[in-house]
Amino acid sequence: MATYQYFIDYFNEAPSLIKLAWVTICILFTAIVILTIYLKLIRTALRKKNTESAKFKAEYEATLIEYLYSGSENGDINDLQIATIEKLKTSVHIKSKRKIIISILYNLMNEVSGEMSDSIKTLYFKTGLYNYALSRLENKNWYIIAKGIGELTRFKIEEAHDLVVPFIKHPRHEVRKETQLYMVNMFRFNGLTFLNDLKEPLSEWAQVQLLETLQKFDDQQICDIKPWLKSTNNSVVLFALKLAKIYNQFETKDTLMELLSHPIKEIRVKVIRVLTNLYGIEAKEMLKANFNELSLEEQISFFGLLEKLVVPSDEPFIEKHLFHKNFEIQLLALKILKSINLDKFMGLSKSPKNKSNKKILKFVTNI
Amino acid sequence: MDTSTVKIILQILHYLFFGYAFAAITSYIILSIISGKETIEYLKKNSFVNYKDILSSTMSPSITIIAPAYNESLNVVENVRSLLSNHYVNYNVIIINDGSTDNSLEKLIEAYDLEKVDFIINEKIKTQPLRAGVFKSKNPAFEKLMIVDKENGGKADTLNMGLNISKSKYVACIDVDCLLLEDALQKMIKPFLEETDAKVIATGGVIRIANSCIIRGGKLIDVNLPKKLLVQSQILEYLRAFLLGRMAWSRLNGLLVISGAFGIFDKETAIAVGGYDTKTVGEDMEIIVRMRRYMEEKNEKYKVSYIPDPLCWTEAPDNYKIFISQRNRWTRGTIETLKKHRKIGFNRNYGSFGMLSYPYWLIFERLAPIIEVIGIVYFAILIILKEVRWEYALSFLLLAYIFSVLFSIIALYSEELTFHQYKKKGTGYKLVLLTALEPFVLHPFILYAAIKGNYDYYFNKKKKWGVMQRKGLAST
Repeated sequence: MATYQYFIDYFNEAPSLIKLAWVTICILFTAIVILTIYLKLIRTALRKKNTESAKFKAEYEATLIEYLYSGSENGDINDLQIATIEKLKTSVHIKSKRKIIISILYNLMNEVSGEMSDSIKTLYFKTGLYNYALSRLENKNWYIIAKGIGELTRFKIEEAHDLVVPFIKHPRHEVRKETQLYMVNMFRFNGLTFLNDLKEPLSEWAQVQLLETLQKFDDQQICDIKPWLKSTNNSVVLFALKLAKIYNQFETKDTLMELLSHPIKEIRVKVIRVLTNLYGIEAKEMLKANFNELSLEEQISFFGLLEKLVVPSDEPFIEKHLFHKNFEIQLLALKILKSINLDKFMGLSKSPKNKSNKKILKFVTNI
Repeated sequence: MDTSTVKIILQILHYLFFGYAFAAITSYIILSIISGKETIEYLKKNSFVNYKDILSSTMSPSITIIAPAYNESLNVVENVRSLLSNHYVNYNVIIINDGSTDNSLEKLIEAYDLEKVDFIINEKIKTQPLRAGVFKSKNPAFEKLMIVDKENGGKADTLNMGLNISKSKYVACIDVDCLLLEDALQKMIKPFLEETDAKVIATGGVIRIANSCIIRGGKLIDVNLPKKLLVQSQILEYLRAFLLGRMAWSRLNGLLVISGAFGIFDKETAIAVGGYDTKTVGEDMEIIVRMRRYMEEKNEKYKVSYIPDPLCWTEAPDNYKIFISQRNRWTRGTIETLKKHRKIGFNRNYGSFGMLSYPYWLIFERLAPIIEVIGIVYFAILIILKEVRWEYALSFLLLAYIFSVLFSIIALYSEELTFHQYKKKGTGYKLVLLTALEPFVLHPFILYAAIKGNYDYYFNKKKKWGVMQRKGLAST
């Protein structure tokens, strides 16, 4: 008691700064104690959650596989399947269980096709998971909306089209991207119509995902990409260039030729690469004539084009650049010369200009 | 000097130390709040991301993993296997043997069925020449692998050789003995592809400590807390630094360092600035500062990103000698970099880089150990002069200690709520206990190493990298 009183007296008589220090110490110490207890609770809860998740996962996996394989050929739902649906209906109300069920269904969706895939979709609707996904679209948090759209995409739910499409103009790029992926997953190339009036930049990340989605489909009948090549949105033009390259859009050559004078260098460089892929012989003479006005990157790309489309009459042009100051151009020029006039190339090795040329010559000779 | 003058000087010093400590603590609080926000935002953004498409896409950008190796024969074969097991499709691995004096190259040739190939290097950055040459595997299973054997030139020179050789748009510079998780590349490449507003010039990742973890076939099987207090303390220190520090600097676009153990760079920018500086021991920090400076001077919008996922695991020093040597080098690297780029500091032309990041590093990283030592000496003088007001001294010492414990607990808390890597029962108690012990187990040695680093920088110029002896992750 006396000690206690001593501390009280000490505190009361202490200068303000010390009082402040001790009050802060007490607050921080209390925070440490609370956080330590909370940490313990969190760790215990997480361990419990992991164990339960593993248990539920095993249980539901078995149930769902049984559901799929007990289906009849005509697609009618039998008693066993009805029982499974009822069982799942009660589980989907619990968020953690719903998450597990969705993850199992999605994994199964990736492994099966045809009737079984339809069967999963039926289950998705009948258990109420579809309604949960739709309710996510009404959430005020952008990432919940994105999650909802992502889920509808994975389960190929075309029925949600009208509710999803408005998100194409959402202020968050993540939501827009999920919507774009939804549209392409549902409607393939027709889903790309959002490109027609896209004002915001289409990230490289979104572009790769869209292209991957498109490549999954057997039907590779592509729509007219010329309007996108002429878009004022540079990212749309870049995306269209990728489409032109992947799907060998020979009919876009004229538009591509026009793009060779696009104000953006990156686009011009990529156009040359696409033309290389499409055997754009028309571009060769034009670029050759303006070679000195091109940027270094364009010049390198042009030599890439020349490597593929070279003819013997290009030899004088090649010769002019055999000792170009840029390594890549020099290497390509030597390779091209070797392919069109081996004797002349072999003659070069007798009079290399410098040590660096000698190295490149030796390398090209050996390949 | 009369007594009143001495008292005035002492009073001024009191206020200076108090002000410094107050500013440091305030900055830590602010940074941890920003970190928390950024981590939540990151988790939200990635809660629905489908990495599978990027993973399998040949349209995804190419990445070259550059891993310098010097006398790594003990584990090099296993480590390379780990690097080759990444799930990303469009990548290749270049292992550069930096003039090793052991049999690393022979082991690699045998293990991966290598043969010498004709290769010409576009020497955009000057490096030491090739020694035995360039090797590729005859086995198609290892087609992504290239081994380059060159004359010894140090880590920076070796990474520069990798930059010269790589044909990819992005390069991942990594220590060969690091263990990369299979999904590391697609997670690290995301910021480069996602950003449309600014050019991402580099992305750094969290480095986790792999001592005592179970690793099989180049894969992380089980995460364990190491037995040694020194290593445990480093785990806590890394959690604090990565989860509460760098995450905030990423949000402020003020990251000045990406760990040399693992970072991805935009190759074009890295080459444009001349690659890694071979004259510094802090090449990982220096290249980031130089790249940022380059972008600022070009007046181009840019970003240095950071990923908090535990993607890269490495071996931490498990004895004080090596630990001090490592921290000594880090200190010298920081001094060299800040000195070399002193033009940036407090320079409005460099925006927040010059007015916020640089000053922070200078005041709270570079000068912190020096101020701490001056504080200790000053305190000792006060004791001798019997000028210590113990009630003040003790209460503020205790306050500082309690704050450091709380800060570490917040780091643990952040770890549990996000990545929860130390799952085993009983580990939580140990980690909490560690928050109380760490200021005594680790901090004095960090301070000693930093002071030694300062001394070596100014008075022992010949000192270079120092030796980092590793036991190898494969054997853990």
